[in-house]
Amino acid sequence: MKEILRVAALIVTVSVVLWFINSKLNASGGPSAKGTLTVYNWGEFIDPDLLKQFEKETGIKVIYETFDTNEGMMAKIEQGGTSYDITMPSEYMVEMMAEKDLLLPINHNKLSNFKNIDPYFLDLPFDPGNTYSIPYFWGTVGIAFNPTLLEGQTFESWDNLWDPSLKQAVILVDSARETIGMGLNSLDYSLNTTDLDQLRKATDKLKTLSPNVKAVIGDEVTQLMVNGEAAVSLTWSGQAADMMSENEDIDYIVPKEGSNLWFDNIVIPRTAKNIEGAYAFINFMLDAKMAAQNADYVGYSTPNLAALDFMDPEVTSDERFYPDEEARNHLEVYKNLGLEMLGHYNELFLEFKMDMK
Amino acid sequence: MEKLSKLPKLYLSVVFIILYAPIFYLIFYSFNSGGGMSNFESFTLEHYTALFEDTRLISILINTIIVALLSALVSTAIGVLGALAIMFMRNRAMRNAVLSLNTILIVSPDVIIGASFLILFTLIGVKLGFASVLISHIAFSIPIVVIMVLPKLQEMSPSLIDAALDLGATKRDVLTRVIIPFIKPGIFAGFFLALTYSLDDFAVTFFVTGNGFSTLSVEIYSMARTGVTLTINALSGLIFFVTITLVLGYYAISRKTKAPHTGVKK
Repeated sequence: MKEILRVAALIVTVSVVLWFINSKLNASGGPSAKGTLTVYNWGEFIDPDLLKQFEKETGIKVIYETFDTNEGMMAKIEQGGTSYDITMPSEYMVEMMAEKDLLLPINHNKLSNFKNIDPYFLDLPFDPGNTYSIPYFWGTVGIAFNPTLLEGQTFESWDNLWDPSLKQAVILVDSARETIGMGLNSLDYSLNTTDLDQLRKATDKLKTLSPNVKAVIGDEVTQLMVNGEAAVSLTWSGQAADMMSENEDIDYIVPKEGSNLWFDNIVIPRTAKNIEGAYAFINFMLDAKMAAQNADYVGYSTPNLAALDFMDPEVTSDERFYPDEEARNHLEVYKNLGLEMLGHYNELFLEFKMDMK
Repeated sequence: MEKLSKLPKLYLSVVFIILYAPIFYLIFYSFNSGGGMSNFESFTLEHYTALFEDTRLISILINTIIVALLSALVSTAIGVLGALAIMFMRNRAMRNAVLSLNTILIVSPDVIIGASFLILFTLIGVKLGFASVLISHIAFSIPIVVIMVLPKLQEMSPSLIDAALDLGATKRDVLTRVIIPFIKPGIFAGFFLALTYSLDDFAVTFFVTGNGFSTLSVEIYSMARTGVTLTINALSGLIFFVTITLVLGYYAISRKTKAPHTGVKK
């Protein structure tokens, strides 16, 4: 009995000591006189140095937490019990959260750096007038490929994927909108089409791709491409940037017919407690220098026009990640098509997958 | 133990290689200066230094350990009392019912437990964070402790208690001097199992973390979108090393203390 009590006392002591160390660790971030700001962001989606600098400049202590899917994030906010001040949903999730009344409208007058954002990325269909959201990072959907495995085959059009030389070489992403969208794009249809006839044609065209399809998978594709186990894949530009930073042979293009334009956005959820702090944070992140530093760290494309001047020209002139105006005109943002239509997209995608041998 | 012949030895080593290879693969690449898990460039300790500079990750690690220690401690205390209660229940039907309810909690999927905790906490207004994680970890560890302690109690001969009472022991003495020392191995086993359950739990924790409080498993999982960095490899390597030291330490201590008590067999 004595021994058990001794062990119990030891555990309690260790816990208290650890607790003490932990509070010391957290306190070293800066004084917390001005309260705390809870930021809920994607994993590895901000330069941690910026958080420290923000704490130093404003005296607000940042509590930082990460999520891995839009849906998981929304569930936490919708359930309540949390008090996130800032979060970063993708564009379709902004629309959904706004519909569910989970977001606070943003007062643009409080954001002196709002003018830094490229007007091209403002006032888009998922959030007209940017009532609820400020674009944080953006990107495209395109083809990542490894020329060393392809005997010099190059890509400029979606139709190149149908080339007979690519037998069993193409990896598709396991997501209905992206894959069906590729079929739609290759036929010059809109990514947001609700025309059943066009969708049918796109699906039929996709089916003829099946001899070339190696696999339909999710995030594992990054590792396969980096290791040279796969030669061609349908990917998001951010993912392609990750691949390219680890394997310089890999290249990425946005096909000339066009593709999807996606965003991750800063929003203030209804659960926010420190609204002034949230505005200070957004304005800080919109500052040209900070946005540039953040884009350097994260590696995605920034919508901050003023930030581009502070970045490596080699990066900002790279048309694969910062396409010129002409190419941008072919990009389309997903619209919320409604449950029924999304169901139809999913059905067609399933039909395509079932058809593959 | 009997000497193993060649074939079983070979089989045993193959099984252990399969079990340990992924861990060593992970640790091996934590020394890679290449930045990825594909080709090994040269030896470096930079991921370990990066780990210690990342105060957020260290703080999450400490959170994880505190939650594990405290939840294991509290659940062991409650679990032992629960096992005693079940053991000394007079009514057989009642005892079986309580035991089954306990078992159901062990086999029911973590996701469901996690989701129901999330709903409960938001309903009664507990703020998600340290408290919610600790409470839920205690809750899912209790049944495990009960299951670990109960067989020890059943193993104990009732005459031990009768003898103690005959010799003038009070009820309190019986508990602290007879029962608890006898079931001590079960208590420690329950504690360590609860500890490991809490350390690596993802499903339940995922639902009840919030407001900036996070544990290691949830944090690593959120890194999936942009790729897990080699810092995580370094961290895994360290944890593996510490675990091995603990196991060896525990083994050494239990051997030393076991030697005099030759009478009681485990």
